[in-house]
Amino acid sequence: MGELVSLRDIRKSYGRKEVLKGISLSIEPGQVIAVLGSNGTGKSTFLRIIAGIESLNAGQVLFTNNSIRIGYVPERFPKNIRFTPVEYLHYIGEISGIPAITLKERIPSFLQRFGLDQFSNRRIGELSKGNIQKVGIVQAILQPPDLLILDEPVSGLDAEAQQELLKILKELKASGTTILLTYHESNIFECMVDRTYEIKEGLLYEGALTKKAKEDLKLIEVKHVESSTIQGWNDILRIEEQADSLLLFVGLENSDQVLARVLEAKGNVVRVVTVEMEEIRKG
Amino acid sequence: MKDLIKYTLHDYLRSQKYFPPTSTYFILILIFYTYKPNPIIDSYAVTALILFVTSAWLCMSVLSLDAPVQRQIMILHIKSSHKYYIAKLIAIWLIAVGLAVFAFVYPLVFGMFAEPVSLKVGFVSLANHILLATLGISIASFFNKSMMESTVNAYGGLVLTLILSFASLGIYKVLPSFIKYVAWLLPPAVSTQIPLIQWDGEMIGELSLIPFIWIFIYSVVLFILFLQVARLKK
Repeated sequence: MGELVSLRDIRKSYGRKEVLKGISLSIEPGQVIAVLGSNGTGKSTFLRIIAGIESLNAGQVLFTNNSIRIGYVPERFPKNIRFTPVEYLHYIGEISGIPAITLKERIPSFLQRFGLDQFSNRRIGELSKGNIQKVGIVQAILQPPDLLILDEPVSGLDAEAQQELLKILKELKASGTTILLTYHESNIFECMVDRTYEIKEGLLYEGALTKKAKEDLKLIEVKHVESSTIQGWNDILRIEEQADSLLLFVGLENSDQVLARVLEAKGNVVRVVTVEMEEIRKG
Repeated sequence: MKDLIKYTLHDYLRSQKYFPPTSTYFILILIFYTYKPNPIIDSYAVTALILFVTSAWLCMSVLSLDAPVQRQIMILHIKSSHKYYIAKLIAIWLIAVGLAVFAFVYPLVFGMFAEPVSLKVGFVSLANHILLATLGISIASFFNKSMMESTVNAYGGLVLTLILSFASLGIYKVLPSFIKYVAWLLPPAVSTQIPLIQWDGEMIGELSLIPFIWIFIYSVVLFILFLQVARLKK
């Protein structure tokens, strides 16, 4: 699978404080990636850099295609907007180049899905925090993006809106949208997240496997392949070196590809088994 | 870009932030024409300077309409920070052109001049208004919120620059000859005043056009620099 975005050695400082200390990551199309971390670790900065709305001190953000559509939901959508949700979304749609006829259909539909239709004639600045956040979400998905970036999207959302958002994200994922999100307390997204990362002290660490990944895990044992050959393959979640073999933990979706690449690397595949994470831990 | 210009104008209208600069401008024009008759070219030269300051003020208020996050969202939707800022600057310029037309038409409609305004004088005076408005916008663009975090620094810096631009001719005169040309770097807001006042209004060929061209070039260079710096600042 090709890359959608490739981050190379991203560095960002605010004054003397280096927030991101050289982060590299490849994001494949259709993936759902969660970036976790405590407050102030640079998650939002990281997302804004990928969105292209924050400058970086060093490194590169490379998109495979220049015409990639990016949707961005900020952690706090601005509340001083002087338009009603309908007016604002119409402007956003027109500025993005969405045909008027499509807007006429999509705006009421999204407003209705998020229960905003009853507030469609009130100015955004007069709405509650949660409803403002809903407008922030709708502006990002008005035109299905290739890459959707959500910074703490559920902050202020009621349970119903959270479920609706989850439903929409699943629909977007099914239609091929790559999703990159951060969240704190909520784990409603865990069921759809493919990979989690954690930003700690300016560096990005591959995090614990998500519920979905745990269910879809496959183990491939190979002999006669150097671990250095395998390292850097993004589709391998973990590598364990045994006395005379390597154990590769791969998501089910990627296992065929990994197998093919192992064979190309002239390694002997000893066994391929589907395992639960708990079994792996037991050893 | 047309839609972002429309959005900006609509938002500015809703914000009512247009009221302080435009009302001050209208009051100053009305006060200026309290007595009549007035000399045509000299009066238009003065109202153009009033518009220069007003346009700078307008630019500050329009560029502060979008909160930083809103600005980032807009840039993402329009896919270019250049397009975003160009749309904003065009919106400001359109408002300033409206104000220039007011300054031009008001004394004509209410018969504030001793004699009728010829086509040549009218054209040159209106062009001077629009050029000085453009210069005011280009200077103020560097002092907006997206470029300077501190409002005090932004407004302080702008006021200081405007004062220096008014004093540029005086500064040029008092500077020692070997550094005299440094004064050319100051915004040329008053550079068209002397040629206009000395002009008899008969032949455009008798009017020195260099100050007008210099204002145009100066503004364009500032706009280009602003767009580059704004893109880097994000």
